[in-house]
Amino acid sequence: MEAKEVLDELKGILVSRLKFDPSRVADLAMDTPLPKGVDGAIGLDSLDFIELSIAIEERFAVPMEESEDLVPHFASLATLSRFIAERAPAT
Amino acid sequence: MRRVVVTGLGAVSPFGAGVKAFWTGIATGSCAIRPITLIETDGFRCQIAAEVPDGIAGSHRRSRADRLALTAAREALEDAGLSHDDRLETALIVGAVGGGMLEAETWHWRRRERAARGHASIGALRSILPSSHAETLGTRLRLGGPRETLVTACSSGAASLAVAAELIADGIVDVALAGGADALTRICFMGFNALKLLDPAPCRPFDRDRKGMSIGEGAAFLVLEEATRARARGVRSYAELAGAGMTTDAFHVTAPHPDGDGMARAMRAALARGGVAPSDVGYVNAHGTATLQNDRIEAGALRAVFGEGRVLVSSTKSMIGHTMAAAGSLEALATVLALAHGVVPPTAQHDHTDPDVPFDCVPRVARETAVGHAISNSFGFGGQNVTLLFRAGA
Repeated sequence: MEAKEVLDELKGILVSRLKFDPSRVADLAMDTPLPKGVDGAIGLDSLDFIELSIAIEERFAVPMEESEDLVPHFASLATLSRFIAERAPAT
Repeated sequence: MRRVVVTGLGAVSPFGAGVKAFWTGIATGSCAIRPITLIETDGFRCQIAAEVPDGIAGSHRRSRADRLALTAAREALEDAGLSHDDRLETALIVGAVGGGMLEAETWHWRRRERAARGHASIGALRSILPSSHAETLGTRLRLGGPRETLVTACSSGAASLAVAAELIADGIVDVALAGGADALTRICFMGFNALKLLDPAPCRPFDRDRKGMSIGEGAAFLVLEEATRARARGVRSYAELAGAGMTTDAFHVTAPHPDGDGMARAMRAALARGGVAPSDVGYVNAHGTATLQNDRIEAGALRAVFGEGRVLVSSTKSMIGHTMAAAGSLEALATVLALAHGVVPPTAQHDHTDPDVPFDCVPRVARETAVGHAISNSFGFGGQNVTLLFRAGA
């Protein structure tokens, strides 16, 4: 899957499943922080990360291992698309 | 004795956003009870309610009820002209019942029938608690005083105003934002349906042919302020909240006590608190749900307190339905506006006054008449009774 395609899918998830305003999501930079409480972040809370994890499992067939520390991968769209690109099964 | 005046008004009602739309709707005796669009009604005898029309501002990450509350609260604060510093000391008292239940229900239903109905996002559960409205308002509007959520069923919105007025009268705060909010939910609609309390046609309060209530939704918030401070600020005051009475029937989970004693005690307590004789009251904005029991028992309590025919009695619910946690605050707003405009809003769909209701129910058409004092009644399930007393020309 192309990096651009992964990014567009992730932005789509932020709008359709996390209900962020489409114009806010369109303006997101690759390095904009995702988690609430971080300066300049779009502000995902714990429920958002659960929803996002489920969506990534469903859409990209990337399993989320609860034993693994996933926090660094969910820091920004850049880290998240890299994580997905590395783990997604080849199609 | 510290007096409490109303210096800001905000509403979202089945007539749309804004106090002006609300007053125009009720002063013209319009009925906003229409076919339901928000939830599924197939197979139900009643298929109507008073929904807030489309176009509620705010992020869809918030529940519908949170967005109703935020829109109304913002209007009230702007109307009162409270500064940033004022807001840091403003109390926030919110009456709530359903919280984000509408979204939680949708989540649950979609989860059960996932293939057929699309994905259910867990974020819908974020604002399920009734305290979610206060969290949203407090954070977004930067209100820094004490914060409380009151859940007393259908009197929650009125209880919030009563408690806020006490905080000011007791000198704990000088300013408070208080009111209630609720969105239409399945559990409310289906619950009242199961209790056989819903009229398939728009409700007819105090009419001999009434068949039950209509459900509504909305939000209303009032800014309450200590009177000398409001005067010093040079802000307009719509009316004085001169007293409140809160009592409990302690009788039954849904039915009011048949002798209406709890209701009468709430009204008398409000009058005593305000130092007002029953004969000084010209208008009662009734709880008036249009259920067989409420209207008969409320009329009996009114007769016991005021005497037959001594006050005008009307029910705003005939126009906007029963808006649950918002009802007490929307109806307090209707009462304040009635005093401010010298116009008593009518009871819509009212043609034949029940012989058990010995009062002029202001049928269908508003009445122009100056009123010095008016009360607003709100009676919740569990016999949770609240009466608010307002004085004109504060």
